[in-house]
Amino acid sequence: MTLFDNLVTGAAIFTDPQALLALVIGIAVGTVAGAIPGLSATMAVALTLPFTFALEPMTGILLLLGVYKGGIFGGSIPAILIKTPGTPASSATVLDGYPMAEKGEAGRALTMALYASCTADLFSNLALILAAGWLASFALSFGPPEFFTLILFSLTIIAGVSGDSLLKGLVSAVLGLLLATVGLDLVYGTNRFNFGDPNLMGGLNFIAVLIGLFAIPEILAMVADPHGNDGNVRGLGDNRVSFAEYRRCFKSIIRGSAIGAFLGSIPGIGAAPSAFLSYSEARRTSPNKANFGKGEIEGVAAAEAGNNGVAGATLIPLLALGVPGDVVTAIIIGAFMIHGLQPGPLMFVTNADIVYGLFVGLILSSFALFFIGGAAIRVFRYVADIPRGVLFPLVLVLCVYGCYAVNNSMFDVGVMFAIGWLGFLMMRYGVPAAPFLIAFILGPLLEDNFRQSMLMSGGSPEILFRSPITWVFWGLTAITATAIAMAGLKAMSRAPAPAESRD
Amino acid sequence: MKNFRIASVAALSIALTAGASLAADYPDRTINMIIPYGPGGATDISARTLAEPLGKVVPEALVMVNRTGAGGATGSVSVKHASADGYTMLFARVGSHTVNPAMKDTLPYTLDDFRFVGVYEINPVACAVRSDSDIDSLDELASKVQAEPGSVTYSSSGVGALQHIASAMVLKSFGVEKPLEQAVHLPMKGGGAAATAVLSGTATFICTNSAELASFVANGQFKPLMVTTTEPVAGFDAPSAASLGHPELEQLVGWTGVAGPKDLPDDIAAKWGEWLAAATADAGFREKMEARGSVIELMSPEDSAAFIQKQYEVFRALVDELGMRISG
Repeated sequence: MTLFDNLVTGAAIFTDPQALLALVIGIAVGTVAGAIPGLSATMAVALTLPFTFALEPMTGILLLLGVYKGGIFGGSIPAILIKTPGTPASSATVLDGYPMAEKGEAGRALTMALYASCTADLFSNLALILAAGWLASFALSFGPPEFFTLILFSLTIIAGVSGDSLLKGLVSAVLGLLLATVGLDLVYGTNRFNFGDPNLMGGLNFIAVLIGLFAIPEILAMVADPHGNDGNVRGLGDNRVSFAEYRRCFKSIIRGSAIGAFLGSIPGIGAAPSAFLSYSEARRTSPNKANFGKGEIEGVAAAEAGNNGVAGATLIPLLALGVPGDVVTAIIIGAFMIHGLQPGPLMFVTNADIVYGLFVGLILSSFALFFIGGAAIRVFRYVADIPRGVLFPLVLVLCVYGCYAVNNSMFDVGVMFAIGWLGFLMMRYGVPAAPFLIAFILGPLLEDNFRQSMLMSGGSPEILFRSPITWVFWGLTAITATAIAMAGLKAMSRAPAPAESRD
Repeated sequence: MKNFRIASVAALSIALTAGASLAADYPDRTINMIIPYGPGGATDISARTLAEPLGKVVPEALVMVNRTGAGGATGSVSVKHASADGYTMLFARVGSHTVNPAMKDTLPYTLDDFRFVGVYEINPVACAVRSDSDIDSLDELASKVQAEPGSVTYSSSGVGALQHIASAMVLKSFGVEKPLEQAVHLPMKGGGAAATAVLSGTATFICTNSAELASFVANGQFKPLMVTTTEPVAGFDAPSAASLGHPELEQLVGWTGVAGPKDLPDDIAAKWGEWLAAATADAGFREKMEARGSVIELMSPEDSAAFIQKQYEVFRALVDELGMRISG
C-alpha cells in the first residue's frame, strides 16, 4: 500500500466523531492551561492522562496530543501579554512579543504567533509523516559526543540575543551557567552548592527561574518608578496581520519549522532551545536586524515557529523507535501501553490503522489549532487593555500561585523572588536576560554530554571528533564564532555605540 | 504554681483526647499524597492509577502532589518533616527508599524516618542488550567484561537509580570481581534516555523495570537476557535468575508503596492497610497496572517494612563490598 492509501484508511477513523471531538477539546484545554503561568504543557498532559484510560486508544492519544499542541501555543499568550512565558518553550517569544505589547501591538503579536505556530505545526506534522523513518535513524546516530557538539554550537545563540553588548551577554550567560550547577552531580551523585539544604538538592526549579527572570523584574521596575511608562500607549491595538507581513516572515517561519522538526526528532533537547535557535537565526539574516528585541514581529514569528515545529517531530522517535523524546512523549508512551499498544517500528505493521489515523488527526490538529487559537486570542487579548496599576499586582499574584503550583513548594516561590531581584539588577544595568536563560537550559546538557563522552572514551578527547556529525557541528561553531568576532571588531572600529536606554 | 499544674494537666488531657479523636475521625479533611517524581514518570503513573480506586474507598479527597527533585529526595524529605497525622503521605519507590539510602551518606533521611503502610506494586527487573548484539547470555556478557575491561558500558537513569545498582549486582553475581572498574557506568537523565542509550549503541546493556523495556522487546529492538522474578514475565523470552543459578538476584525488583512519617499512629496505618487492600482489589486498576508489566501484590504494613528493610540491607552490603558509597 502506498502512503496515500494508508492515509485514506487512517482517515476512516474520523467517521467516529468522538476522536475529532477529543482533539478539539484537547487543544482548547491545552491552550488555556498553557496560558496559565506555572501550569506548563507537560503538567496539563500529565493531568489529562487518567481521563484517557476509559477512552478508545485513538481518541485518548488524540486528546493528549491536542493538549500538548494547545499548551505549546497557549504559552505564548502570557509571554506576549505579561512577559511571563506560560511554558518554558515560549521564553523566546517574550523577547519581541512583550515589547510589541508595550507598543500597543499585542493583538498583532498574538495573531502572528498563531499564524507561525500553525504553519510550523503543519510543517512538523508533514515531516513526521513523510520522513519519520529517515529522521529517526539519523536521530539514533546522536550519542553524547554528537550532542555535545550540537549544544556547543547552540551556545553561539547567546551572541544573537545579547543585544548591544556581547560582553554583557556573556556576563549574563555565565550567571546562568553558575546557577545551573546547583544540585546533584550527574556522575558522582554528590551535592553541589546546596549548602546542606535538601530543597537545593534538586537544583533550582526551572519554572521559578523563568518567571523570576522575566516577570518579576518588570513588576519591581513598576514599583520603583510607577509613572515611568505613563507615556506609552499599552493597549490592544489592531490584531490584523497583513498577508504581506506574513509573507515577509515566511522565510523565518519555514526556517524555524525546519529547526524545530530537526531538533524535535532528536530525543532529549526540547522546544525551548529550538525556539531560541530559530529566533537567533532569524535575527542574523533579517534585514530588520536592528529592530529585534525591540518589538519585531518577525522575532515573534521565528520563536513560535521554532517551538511549535518541535511538537509534531517529537513523535518521530516515539512512533518510529518507541523512544520518548521528552516528558510529554513519555506520558504518551504510557497511554499507548495502557491500551496494550507498543510503539516502535512494528506498530507500523501491526497497528497501521492507529498510526495512520494519528497522522490524519495530526494534520487536522494544525487547522483546529488555528481556529481555537484565534478564539483564545479574542478572549485573552483584553488583558492588554487592563491598566498597569491593576494588571501588575494581578500578575504578581498569578506568578506566586503558578510558581507554587509546580512543586507545591514555598521554597520555589523564594527562588522566584531571589532570581527576580537578580533580574531587576540585570535590567537596571542593561544586562540581557535571554543569555542567562539559554545558558541555564543548555549548560547542564553540555556538561552531562561532555562527561558521558569522557566516561565512554576513558578520558580521551578524541571521541569528540568521532563522527561526521561532530565535524559538521565543530565547523559550524568555528564559522559562527569567527563571524561574531569579526562583527565585534567591526563595531569597535566604528564610533562607540551610544549608551543604551530602556524604552 | 498549683493552678499552673492543674492547667497544664488539663491542657495535656485535652491534647490527648484531641489526639485520640483525631485518629478516630481520621480522615476529616483532604489528604495530600506526595509523589516524589515528576509527572509522567513510572511512579507518577502508578500513583495516579491507584488514586482512582483509592479515591472511592477513602472518605475524603486525595490531592496528588508532585514534588520533584534529587532522585525523589526532595519529596521524601518533605514527608519526613510533615506532621504524623496521616494528612501527608508519600508514594515511596525503590529508588528513593532502598537504593538511595543504601548508597548515599548525605541523604537527608533514612528508612527509620518513615512508616510504611503498604507496598502495592512489584516491578520485575529485566536485563537486555540491543538485538543485533553478539552477546546472547549474561555469562557471555560477564566474560566479555572480564576479557576486555572497559569495553562494556551500562546505562542508568542517574546515580542512585535502580538501574545503577542492578547492573553492578548482576555483573557481580555472574562472577565479575570489580564491576565498577571493569565495566563503565553511563548515567543518563531519566529512564527513557537510559533505554535510548542502549538502542543507539552508546551503552551495551541495561537492567531495569521490565515495563520500561517491554515495547523494545516486543518490537524486536532489544534482546532480553534475564528476568529477576521466578515467574516468567509476559513478552520476555528470557530465563529467570533462579533458573540461571542466581536466586540471590530475586531481591532485585522495583516496587511502589505508601508511607507516612515515622510517628504515624497505629490506627491510621491500619486504616491505610484496609484502604489499600480495597483499592488494589479493583479489577480495572489491576488490568491497567498489569498492562504496564507490574505485578500487583499488596503487603501488610509489617510485611512492607520487612521487605524494604531486607532489600535495603542487601543493597547496602553490595554497596559496601563494591565501594559504591557516596559521601560527598
